[in-house]
Amino acid sequence: MASPATVELPAATRALIARPGVLTVLGRFIRKKPLGAAGGFIMLAITVTAIFANLAETHDPIATDAAGTLGAPSAEHWLGSDHLGRDVYSRIVHGARISLIVGLASSVLGSFFGGIIGLLSGYIGGKTDLITQRVLDILQGLPLLVLAMVMSAALGASIHNVVIAISVPIIPRAARVIRSSVLSIREMQYVEAARAVGVRHLRIAFRHILPNTVGPFIVLMTAQLGSAILVEATLSFLGLGVPEPYPSWGRMLSVSAAEYAQKAPHLVIFPGVAISLAVFGSNLLGDALRDTLDPRLRGA
Amino acid sequence: MRRPTLVAVAAGVALAVVGVLSLTPAIGQTPKSGGTINIMAREDLAQGFATHETSTVATSTPSLPCFSNLVFFDPSKKTDSMDTIVGELAEKWSWQDNYKNLVFFLRKDVKWHDGKPFTSKDVKHTFDMVRDSPEATAKLRISPRKDWYANVEHIEAPDPYTVVFRLKRPQPSLLLMLASGYSPVYAAHVPPAAYRTGCIGTGPFKLKEWRKGEFIEYVKNPDFYVKGRPYLDGIRYVVIVERGTRTAALQSGQLDVAFPGETGRTAMEQLKKAVPTMVFQPVAQNVSDNIIMNTKKPPFDNPKVRLAVGYAIDRRGLIQAAHQGGAVLGAAMLPKPYGVWGMLEKDLAAMPGYGKAEDMKAQAKKLLAEAGITAQSPLKVEMSVRAIAIYLDMASFVINELKQVGIEATLKQIETAQWHATATRGDYQIGANLTGLGTDDPDANFYENYACGSPRNYSQYCSEEVMKMFERQSQELDAKKRTAMVIDIQKRLEQDAPRPILAQRLDYYAHWPHVKGLVAHNNIYNFSRFQDVWRDK
Amino acid sequence: MKTYLAQRLGIAVLTLVGMSIVIFALLRFAPGDIVDILFSTGGYVNAEERKAIMKELGIDKPLVTQYLEWIRNLLTGDLGKSYRYDQPAWDVIRPLIPVTLELAALSIMVAVLLGVPTGVISAVRQDTTLDYVLRVFSLAGLSMPAFWLGMVIILGLVTWLQWIPPVTYVGPRENFWLHAVQFGLPALAVGYRSSALIMRITRSALLEVMREDYIRTAWAKGQSEGIVIWRHALKNAILPVVTVIGIEFAFLIGGLVVTENVFNLPGVARFLVQAILWRDYPIVQNIVMFIAVVVILSNLFVDMLYGFLDPRVRYG
Repeated sequence: MASPATVELPAATRALIARPGVLTVLGRFIRKKPLGAAGGFIMLAITVTAIFANLAETHDPIATDAAGTLGAPSAEHWLGSDHLGRDVYSRIVHGARISLIVGLASSVLGSFFGGIIGLLSGYIGGKTDLITQRVLDILQGLPLLVLAMVMSAALGASIHNVVIAISVPIIPRAARVIRSSVLSIREMQYVEAARAVGVRHLRIAFRHILPNTVGPFIVLMTAQLGSAILVEATLSFLGLGVPEPYPSWGRMLSVSAAEYAQKAPHLVIFPGVAISLAVFGSNLLGDALRDTLDPRLRGA
Repeated sequence: MRRPTLVAVAAGVALAVVGVLSLTPAIGQTPKSGGTINIMAREDLAQGFATHETSTVATSTPSLPCFSNLVFFDPSKKTDSMDTIVGELAEKWSWQDNYKNLVFFLRKDVKWHDGKPFTSKDVKHTFDMVRDSPEATAKLRISPRKDWYANVEHIEAPDPYTVVFRLKRPQPSLLLMLASGYSPVYAAHVPPAAYRTGCIGTGPFKLKEWRKGEFIEYVKNPDFYVKGRPYLDGIRYVVIVERGTRTAALQSGQLDVAFPGETGRTAMEQLKKAVPTMVFQPVAQNVSDNIIMNTKKPPFDNPKVRLAVGYAIDRRGLIQAAHQGGAVLGAAMLPKPYGVWGMLEKDLAAMPGYGKAEDMKAQAKKLLAEAGITAQSPLKVEMSVRAIAIYLDMASFVINELKQVGIEATLKQIETAQWHATATRGDYQIGANLTGLGTDDPDANFYENYACGSPRNYSQYCSEEVMKMFERQSQELDAKKRTAMVIDIQKRLEQDAPRPILAQRLDYYAHWPHVKGLVAHNNIYNFSRFQDVWRDK
Repeated sequence: MKTYLAQRLGIAVLTLVGMSIVIFALLRFAPGDIVDILFSTGGYVNAEERKAIMKELGIDKPLVTQYLEWIRNLLTGDLGKSYRYDQPAWDVIRPLIPVTLELAALSIMVAVLLGVPTGVISAVRQDTTLDYVLRVFSLAGLSMPAFWLGMVIILGLVTWLQWIPPVTYVGPRENFWLHAVQFGLPALAVGYRSSALIMRITRSALLEVMREDYIRTAWAKGQSEGIVIWRHALKNAILPVVTVIGIEFAFLIGGLVVTENVFNLPGVARFLVQAILWRDYPIVQNIVMFIAVVVILSNLFVDMLYGFLDPRVRYG
């Protein structure tokens, strides 16, 4: 009698049980969720631009040019030049770096710490959970922007302080989402079984529950990324954000754009479009990811 | 051939008459009484109307309508000088004892806005308080211009309408300082803290309402001591923090007048295009762009390095790059025709940074090489800048210039709340700075910004020799001799370079044509009482 | 119900106390205080005078003492004195509150009027071009920075009409139409953004409900689409929508901050930014606590409403 290991399966069966390759998954995703794919493409384009900013730029973003101030978009300056003659396109390209770095760092940081807190709080339950919830309530009691503003003023203007200022309000929101996910997983059969067998709590938490929160976590992070980018832009606009010399889309809009807007409307249009595109892309992607990875969260 | 008809001839004559009439300038229109105007304010009052406790045009200018000075610069004359000083609360004045005593004879018909009579007691109270004299009847929380009156020994009020300023040594400049918009007279019967929340003055307008963060509203003072003035029924300063909204409000007519110093060249061009009838008065602000360097710490304790910085920065380039042409060349004092003490064209041309850019930069590189700084071993410094657009623009340009001679400066943003503390502590290497002069006077400038130990001498520059030069010019009574001394001092300051001056800013003061009688001055602090201003419609 | 309410209120109070400590501490962390700002308007610094001013303002006392004083005063209705304006904080803040509340209310109205119908249409015409267009339109609102939208509106108006809404407050009784425009435009800008979330929730809630059996029964029975939607589906989709409106109200405040700035409305949110820049702690603390109270109350209200609307949810 042939041993199971040597059974030859027909090709069709093999195809059915084979794990799909990356390209197949991607292809499926693009077909099923065209909007999400578009969002992913936008984010990819922005990320690539940000990483290769030094290659993508056409001029030095801080080089001034007295003769060419407030120039309209032209062959020389693709998106025009600002009131100091600096190339708007190159500044937007470098601004992408900052927006992405700050946006990613704060949403990852906030989601990560919030996730850990939510995981432990949800798993341990009881008094710890109750107290943690109240503490998180305190942090969440304030609108994101207001808390970020106060934190930014409290910490002072520097790029890491802005990241901290934006990630702190994200922590309670992340904790909430992960916690509710944990609460539902905790009651599942296999977890009870593991506990019955005597597996240590920490092991259960990290080996069984954590992997199942990855889906909601990714969704959460992409959702927060959009917010983080917006809050960074708003903080910069109000003067509480990323300081000079780092280029920032929000600051490009506050510092001179509005004043020269009638002579040079491109100063107002392009940075704003950049911000909107980045947030739009991350929202589209986040939505599609959520629909794919965690259908329970649909509509949340 | 047709003969021209009578109608055609008449029409021709009529056209000719109209043509001639339109060429004749409108002969002095008669001011009309009534109406109100809205004026732009870019931020709310810093400390209410407490002009003596602040050093910012954001407080002093919107407070001007409420107050009167002893003497003031003639509102109708653009350039401030000793010759344009007119009396407000003082009817007559005279220097005695070779410019050591200044006697004022005060008006007898002046009332405070609360009805109480104005007397010499108010003057003595105000200036004793400002100079922090032991005999002062009240104390200011902070007095930024204490040093203006450092030379005053004693203020006497021998009778209700006479005041005498007794000085330690002759100082003709005292009069110019008293004429500044920064020198209003407070009421002796009002505690100075009250000026932070309201205003009791003797000026042409009474404070009606100050809605915090929104507007400051004045109404005509019916008991104003100049009969028939003011013409306007009221004025309102409207606070708009957003730059774009501010300009849009002026353009759409919701604001009638801009704020002094707010209309740059590009803004002017934009406004002009949108509103061809808008009136612009190009004036100097008496605010200069400059670079401060910490003379007590390396690398800028080395005068050669400082001088190199002075050479490296192309002044004309800055004016084009950072101001789009809306600034003029000038050293520490405002040049003619904007001011009276400035250096002449030929003198300026010889100063570091005013010649041909390539030559200047070559000179800078040579100086730096002597200090061991070359393109291979560049000097790395941090340039401290306040997070405000006009500072940042200047700094961006300067950093580019310095890069070309081997100085690599990185921008370090300092929050407003910490700027002065940082600068006064000497916690910086090099910084981008703006300096405004409350009055076009060498004493005010030199003692505030370059004197040993002065809190605003951020470079901590101290030269005994130059201090003696300050003293000498301060006591010089001959105007011509004094001007020559002041020019020499400016040359010396550019050579020692504790604070190289980059440019003197211009303002294209904008207002709608129906606002008449408004004359901008070459100094943002010294005009805006609005007592002679009227509305044409 | 009563015990639930008492419980919630108790928790709310605790939360507020916690927030007060956080805000108090955070602000004192900030580099630079009011004295630094006063000196910066004066253009110089002096150590002696600094001590005197700190004493005058009461900020030389130990932090704990200052905190307890603040709380004690708060309980007796005294909100303290603004450092910048030297006047009771309540007098300074009071005239601003109605403006912000009006703007917030109008914005929510716009959000609901824009979000619910588009959500319904999008759900009913799911996966059609119309659905996609509406979803993109609504997502664009969520992606655009509120301040940018406001800026673009103002600039567009001044460029093409040479006119902008009034820059000083115009009361409804002074000139109703001018007042309507003055508040309507910013409400549109803020509301558009909030409508996005409401649209999404409405759409997905409706989609879920439409899959339910009783809906399909109604259809099978032959009831017209319109009636099915309105009478059955919408009624049950209301719940999550109401929840989101409550959440959005808090989120809204962030949008109000920049919109009040750009449209120059004299509201609480605009004042907050200035107060933060001036380190005017009493004002910042009071406004932030006020926002916190509003958020907590609105959450409580929404939960109560939820309980009222959904017979399955009962708070014992």
